[in-house]
Amino acid sequence: MTAAVGMRRPATAGTSARWARTALRTLLIVVVCLVVVFPIYWMAVAAVQPTASTLRYPPSLVPTSFDLSGFRDVFANLPILRWLSNSAVLAVVTTVITVVLSVLGGYVLSALYWPGKALFGLLLLVTQMMPEAVVIIPVFQLYNDLHLVQSLIALAFLHAAFVLPVGVWILRSAMDGVPAEVREAALIDGCGHVSVLRRIVLPLTVPAVIAVGIVAFFASWGEYLFAVTMISDSDKYPASVGLATLIGQLDTPVQQLLAGGLVYALPPVVLFVLVQRHIVAGLTAGAVKG
Amino acid sequence: MSVTTAPPAPASEAPAPRRRGSRRRRVHWIAYALALPILAYESIFVLYPIVQGVQLSFTDAKLGAQQTTSVGLDNYDRLLSDPNFIKNVTTTLTYALGVVVVAVGCGLLTALLVNRKMRGRGLVRGLLMAPWAFPEIATVLIFIWVLNPTFGVVRLLTPWQDSGDGWLTSNPLAMFSIVLIATWKTFPFYSIVLLASLQNVPEQLQEAAKVDGATALQRFWHVTLPAIRPDLVLLALLAFIFAFRQFTLIWLTTGGGPGRDTETLVVAIYNTAFRFFDRSYGATLGVGSLIITLVVTLGFLAVQRRLDGRR
Repeated sequence: MTAAVGMRRPATAGTSARWARTALRTLLIVVVCLVVVFPIYWMAVAAVQPTASTLRYPPSLVPTSFDLSGFRDVFANLPILRWLSNSAVLAVVTTVITVVLSVLGGYVLSALYWPGKALFGLLLLVTQMMPEAVVIIPVFQLYNDLHLVQSLIALAFLHAAFVLPVGVWILRSAMDGVPAEVREAALIDGCGHVSVLRRIVLPLTVPAVIAVGIVAFFASWGEYLFAVTMISDSDKYPASVGLATLIGQLDTPVQQLLAGGLVYALPPVVLFVLVQRHIVAGLTAGAVKG
Repeated sequence: MSVTTAPPAPASEAPAPRRRGSRRRRVHWIAYALALPILAYESIFVLYPIVQGVQLSFTDAKLGAQQTTSVGLDNYDRLLSDPNFIKNVTTTLTYALGVVVVAVGCGLLTALLVNRKMRGRGLVRGLLMAPWAFPEIATVLIFIWVLNPTFGVVRLLTPWQDSGDGWLTSNPLAMFSIVLIATWKTFPFYSIVLLASLQNVPEQLQEAAKVDGATALQRFWHVTLPAIRPDLVLLALLAFIFAFRQFTLIWLTTGGGPGRDTETLVVAIYNTAFRFFDRSYGATLGVGSLIITLVVTLGFLAVQRRLDGRR
């Protein structure tokens, strides 16, 4: 975690002042990292200790006794596997819809010229800014009328509607990086736009497509407001709703609750660690380029 | 989705011309076919519900009731004289501005710290993304444990406090706590975005200022800040919107309490419609939120257009 700061120039006069500044900067960076990591560490500490050693004050900053039964109990006492698989269905469907539509949206905004494009961009921007709560009442009514409440697939469609704009921006920004000449050459060679997109633009923007997939997966995996409103059948609970029902209940031991939280957080974190190298640039590109 | 802190890239207002020739550009008709699925999709799931919500706000619909009648502007009369609505708005603004100042501020400071060639930068950057990848419900679980009034580790920082003072159940600590939780979740991502912005600041300017004897603070104020200001403003507006939309972190930690002290507009909409079953009034609160959202979005567009003009 320690980030040592490398000197850029050979030491000259004023070395000790520069050394002091470097040390201070390193210290501050370590503090920031601790602030970021500590809450997660603290959750893990409570999850690997018996509840009896956790419930005392003052707490010990390192685990004093190890006991992994919390993880076992979570799987034994709670339908957490079912919740996780519901979440997986939800997140995968959301991801597929979002990626497919974002690719189309990114391409029409980046590569094509058509009257109405600005309005289309505006529609996406407004959608992106819209709080879910603004539409929750009419959407619930709509789903209720169409008998779509309790359906994970229908919920996934809703999730996708709210991540789609972000996906389109990320891909548009990535596709802007594909030189127009490359596309035009292919068009002159007789390719249609669809095959230009499929054979030329998409292969060049794979990291951004993965970034969109990750964003959609995370958004759906973590979403709570729509899920808790639409799904009241406990067999259909995604993990977010299932775990949230435990929060108010006093009979779930802290150890189990936090172990459940860790198990739930694990898939996105692992996914992120696996692809992080490739997507961080794609994620941030959209924010800084006009 | 409130979870998504991904960078929203700016909408392009004018189609950026690729070729600058005087030749009239050919319209790509296929664009309409490719854009249609998205248009249809967003119309069904977002636009249509918004229209329905506006309609609902002119009725007396209650959840479960079959018949609804039009009541004209009654709900809006009620809204404007509803002390709770006024309180919801001020609570929302307090919370959202708190998050913007604290989270974007921390994000900027962190970005300035990390914006330097150094060993381990990749690792720091990866760590900074951790809260972004961490789901909100897991974040809630962590913080109700960290802030627990009896056993919470946070008490080590405030040994003078009685165990009775709940971080999530007393005023004004509850507001402070939800801003803190949202900051933990979002500031690292903001720092990554601002880091990318900082890396576009020309290094020669910094060097020139340094040669001229400018202090670090002067260099930040006169060189760095003007260069990143547009990105900073856009990010602040986005952070505001994300905070404005935030439901999960507030609902599951304070539930809007104590009393109504942390009940933001979105929490109030949910409470009104799904706990008090007053759909039409909930929809009216929704229209209020819609108007605020549109105003901020217009601000976002205005800033962006100025930015485009300068480039």
